[in-house]
Amino acid sequence: MKKWILITMLPAILMVAAVGCKKENDNSNDNNNSSFDRGAMLANYADNYVIPAYADMTGKLSTLKTKTDAFIAAPDESKLAETRAAWKAAYLTWQETDLLEFGPEASISLRNYINTYPVTVSKVNGNIAAGSYDLEQFGNKDAQGFPALDYLLTGIATSDAAIVSFYTTDAQAANRKLYLQAIVNKMVAKVGAVQTAWTTYRSTFVANTATDAGSSLSLMTNAFVLYYERYLRSGKIGLPAGAMTGVAAGELTEAYYTPTLSKELAQAALNSVGKFYNGFGYSNNLDGIGFHDYMKAIGTKDDNGKLMADVINTELDEAKNSLGGLTATIRDGVTTQRTEVLNIYQQLQEVVPLFKVDMVSAFGISITYTDNDGD
Amino acid sequence: MKNTFRIHTKEYLEQPVYSAALAVFRFIFGIMLCGGVVRFWLRGWIDELYIQPKYFFHYYGFEWVPHPGNYTYLLFFVCGVSAFFFALGLLYRLSAVILFLTFTWIELLDKTNYLNHYYFVSLVLFLMIWLPANANLSLDGLLKPTLLKRQIPRWTTGSIRLMLGIVYCYAGLAKLNSDWLLEAMPLRLWLPAKNDMPLIGFLFNKVWVAYGFSWFGAIYDLTVPFFLLYRKTRPYAFIAVVVFHVATSMLFPIGMFPYIMILSAIIFFDSADIETIVRKCKNYFTNLPVAMGHDMFTFAPLRRSAVVVLFAVFFVIQLVFPWRYLLMPGELFWTEEGYRFSWRVMLMEKTGYAQYVVKDGATGRKIAVNNNDFLTRNQEKMMATQPDFLLQYAHILKEHYSKTGMTDPQVYATVYVGLNGRRSRLFADTSVNLAAEKDAFSHNGWILEYKDKIYGL
Repeated sequence: MKKWILITMLPAILMVAAVGCKKENDNSNDNNNSSFDRGAMLANYADNYVIPAYADMTGKLSTLKTKTDAFIAAPDESKLAETRAAWKAAYLTWQETDLLEFGPEASISLRNYINTYPVTVSKVNGNIAAGSYDLEQFGNKDAQGFPALDYLLTGIATSDAAIVSFYTTDAQAANRKLYLQAIVNKMVAKVGAVQTAWTTYRSTFVANTATDAGSSLSLMTNAFVLYYERYLRSGKIGLPAGAMTGVAAGELTEAYYTPTLSKELAQAALNSVGKFYNGFGYSNNLDGIGFHDYMKAIGTKDDNGKLMADVINTELDEAKNSLGGLTATIRDGVTTQRTEVLNIYQQLQEVVPLFKVDMVSAFGISITYTDNDGD
Repeated sequence: MKNTFRIHTKEYLEQPVYSAALAVFRFIFGIMLCGGVVRFWLRGWIDELYIQPKYFFHYYGFEWVPHPGNYTYLLFFVCGVSAFFFALGLLYRLSAVILFLTFTWIELLDKTNYLNHYYFVSLVLFLMIWLPANANLSLDGLLKPTLLKRQIPRWTTGSIRLMLGIVYCYAGLAKLNSDWLLEAMPLRLWLPAKNDMPLIGFLFNKVWVAYGFSWFGAIYDLTVPFFLLYRKTRPYAFIAVVVFHVATSMLFPIGMFPYIMILSAIIFFDSADIETIVRKCKNYFTNLPVAMGHDMFTFAPLRRSAVVVLFAVFFVIQLVFPWRYLLMPGELFWTEEGYRFSWRVMLMEKTGYAQYVVKDGATGRKIAVNNNDFLTRNQEKMMATQPDFLLQYAHILKEHYSKTGMTDPQVYATVYVGLNGRRSRLFADTSVNLAAEKDAFSHNGWILEYKDKIYGL
């Protein structure tokens, strides 16, 4: 009896199956198998983005070190300007490496040493006065890196002449020069360590093609999404604007003492997010296999049938445009052009669920480390 | 007519089957649970899941369940030892009761860790309390040989079969929806994540494979209990059970569940076959307490009636409870109101993200909440997609900020949820103060309506 029910059910089931498959063919996405190859994607990221990015960063920091050393040897206004220019160039490059906090960068928590802002001026001055300090200590993370340099090279006085005097005639001049040098050396050492580590980590990274919690894809995606949400959206715009608290806090702006730079830094960061998402080469911008291609291969779509892979690019472009449209600096804009800044925040925010929900679930990344039957 | 049916049914249910079948099931089930406790302990999950978290999410109606804190280790220890006693059939009734209570207690501590198979284990243990599973192959029988009975009524093993049958059939029915059958969701998202498996990995890139798995899964769930019941199809059905569960264990991180299901299916074997095997073992291990005579276990009349009524009520609840979602408005997969305890296993890919803001009711000052300050990553993941978690978390936040001196904290959440590959969308009304909403066994009005429609059960 039961058997007969089943036997009669079977054709019905198969018919529905046929309909289902037909429907599928209508909007079939040509699953390009190479786009599904996580190993190739990881290799593209390692070879064409991460490794060249650290090489560039190392180069920029080496220039910064040369300029800083020259300035310290004989401080004057023109060498100050050159050091500052090198600082600015390195800071812009940092925006392209900051999103890479996975693997070696995560294990030494590079970001904390390079770009913890706002700088705590009292700590900087305290260290200078004491003449001895351990920059490796976590307590000193807000007294070093780019933000501390911003203060020492720009924020310490209002005119260049006055700034130079802090390195020549000031009572603490000698200690201050040493501190400036120590900070730059620390940055060179930290980035250098990551660059070296990648030469061996590269093969581990590319070989781990799984999707579980410790896999390369999971580590990289988690780092990328975390960066976008916490350090780009919140760090660069949300916190200074007080988007969630309703109270502007311009003092939290990145490059606070060089307000003209803050928007440029945010733009560089947002550009690199787009570049990385699409899998473009770091130096040549050539289109390689990236998150975009992988999502496209999975083929999730929005209600209008547009690929989610492309929706993300559209939303990122909107965020870029609204950021580009800001005429004030971020530091001042959070109060003087509050509506515009909050709109930028909103545009940035709209990408967060796309990364954090749509992309992560399309990748099938599990962030659990215990059993889960999926419900 | 009706009466003869009743008499036939009664006769059928009372027919003798060999007690060895239930005893072997008891042994295997107990050993698996004991092993499960040891595995949990060794992996450090007791600490991670039950000691480390600052807050725990309780089930509706079970808020009163106490959390033993550091004594959770003791709870697990007692659970493991009782599982061992249960397996050996030593102080059977007592160890069955303790095992049921401790296991269920652990499950009630934090619904973050809800798994259908834990619920299944609790239900089976509840049934086992009342069954004469120590009538064969038990240390109780070694100590008191009169306890050993070679035969037991059919309904004893039948009730375990029925429980398993419900699990499979309801899991199958739950798969009869448009996402599963027509879109091959969520397998279409999950399978490509495994495309680096050796040999067969490349197949997981193919959409038709996802369709094949979906359809096979649904048909398997709906039919396998019947094929297991029927003598001629049983061997093939059991092979299907093994293949199916081994495949799921390779593809998904679902721990012991596949093995529990494979070994539980042994209850469908002919009890005479199991008896034959047990008797052969007795030839090698002569001390084995195996029931020899032709005695049949009989319940005292009053106890029998009580158990029959209890089981009848139990199974009616089991059959009806999974349908409670029909009483709630809205899309079940979206609201998850009536989703748990209904054998909806591996049915959807749901990811969420929740940003909470707490507002001081007096000053209007707002604080953005970092979820990691309150919840573990696992708790955060569960919280971000399920309304009862979202609500309970809002109350946790309210209580916390009240303690830190905030006046009348109001809690607002921006929650985005993505379901089965569709674009994520806003899940909850951002203007509702969740701290003022009550958890209830009914629809939560603050959940935004789901625009898309998923057809089917």
